[in-house]
Amino acid sequence: MIAVKELSLKYPDGTVALTEIDLKVKAGDLVYIIGPSGSGKTSLLKLFMGIEVPTSGSLEIMGRQMVGIKDYELQGLRRNIGPVFQEFRLIKGRTALENVMMGLRFLELPSRELKESAIGALERVGLGNKLNSLVDNLSWGEGQRVSIARAVARRPALILADEPTGNLDKENAVKILELLTSFSDSSTAVVITTHATHLIEEGSDYRLIEMSGGRNHEMGFREA
Amino acid sequence: MKYITNNTSYFIKEVKTIIRLNPLSNILSIFSIALVLFILVLVTAGWWISSEAIEIIQKEAEISVFFDESFDNQKISELIVGLEDIEGVMDTKLVGTEEAYRQMTEILGADATVLAYFDENPFVPFIEVKINMKDMDDLLQKLGELEGIEYVRDNREVLQGLQNIERVLRLISYLVFVAVGIATLVVISHIIRSGIYNNREEILTLRLLGAQKPFIAIPFILEGVLLTLGGGILALVIALGAFKLLYNQVATPLPFIPLPPMYSITNRMTYLIIPLSIILGLAGSIFGLKSAVEG
Repeated sequence: MIAVKELSLKYPDGTVALTEIDLKVKAGDLVYIIGPSGSGKTSLLKLFMGIEVPTSGSLEIMGRQMVGIKDYELQGLRRNIGPVFQEFRLIKGRTALENVMMGLRFLELPSRELKESAIGALERVGLGNKLNSLVDNLSWGEGQRVSIARAVARRPALILADEPTGNLDKENAVKILELLTSFSDSSTAVVITTHATHLIEEGSDYRLIEMSGGRNHEMGFREA
Repeated sequence: MKYITNNTSYFIKEVKTIIRLNPLSNILSIFSIALVLFILVLVTAGWWISSEAIEIIQKEAEISVFFDESFDNQKISELIVGLEDIEGVMDTKLVGTEEAYRQMTEILGADATVLAYFDENPFVPFIEVKINMKDMDDLLQKLGELEGIEYVRDNREVLQGLQNIERVLRLISYLVFVAVGIATLVVISHIIRSGIYNNREEILTLRLLGAQKPFIAIPFILEGVLLTLGGGILALVIALGAFKLLYNQVATPLPFIPLPPMYSITNRMTYLIIPLSIILGLAGSIFGLKSAVEG
């Protein structure tokens, strides 16, 4: 699913964000990338989403080399990824249902299936009663759930969640992590970055990767 | 491309949202476009009307050929045959002294009493020649080569004056056409750029979710087309009102000005402005999108 070899990222202003990262993520993996702020977690996810381009090394997502990838190929790849952003990136002035449907509209789904998938995803994240609520009026936790519903409604092969628990209280943060990990199955890999290691639940198998100073360190596999 | 047809209602809804988010700017844009297109309609219609009027005048262009008074009927017939052989001569008619007198009486109307002061009919016979204005120069030259022609009366200066006016109006129309095209493109592309800027976060989110460029672009292109079409329709409505007024003002007091029928101008205006609005809207939107992406 993800194959990273000697990957480095240096921003135009000279800041070195990542140095010689080596990492492999297979289908069905649940991977937590942990580390303090500034350790390179978000930069790594930006590379996985094609927002940044590696300075050196090799990065392959779902069999596609990300260096020199063409725009249409990148967009095609992104349609197989379910991104959960730290700040949600929901579209204001639209309802929860419209936001989730927005992530499905360009997938060539028939309109009926499109709506059913969106409703199903919102029900799964516990927002079946807020389908027609404007996202502007939702709480922080509900907003994050809509964002997750939008990511999973398209049944992606890879879910990438960047600090999904940021700004949430402990109870809601645990619920969000539980929800995200529940989407990990034999065909879907889930990669979650978080600095809140104490929230990682013990109820499922997962791999833990620690980031520090732009380098990664595999901390091992935890079995439930 | 199936996703485009599947999302038709979504695109229309998005256009409404984009316009609703910035209503004042969009209304002002429609008015600006309407004003620019109205100027185009005025100048173009002015050109059409003048060229049609000239065409009508040209079709009725006539010269009078005066010949040697000693010519007998045989020679006059030969002269008429000679005239009819010249290219550009459409018809000829011999006007005798009596007919010339009658024509002048008609022209003078109430003032025709002045003719009573003459003891004898003061008019001489001549040949009325209907001609094609386009061949006028060559025709006059060849007339001069015919034997027995003493004098030719033409309305050349008047007709050439009209032709010059038509030429100037045509040139102005072309210039206005180009200026209007550029102005509309600039207005529309600026609106689209502003729209993209206002919606940049939403666009970025859609890109991160994997949306194709056409999916993102279609609502903005539709917005551009809708605004120019709105401006075009408004310009058309104002222009139609203005021309109705003009026809009422001109047709009754100046019946000798051969105006083309109102419906022909109306139809031509509609066929010009509606497609032109759509084309300019499309071009302006694409230009705006391109410049926003490259910028």
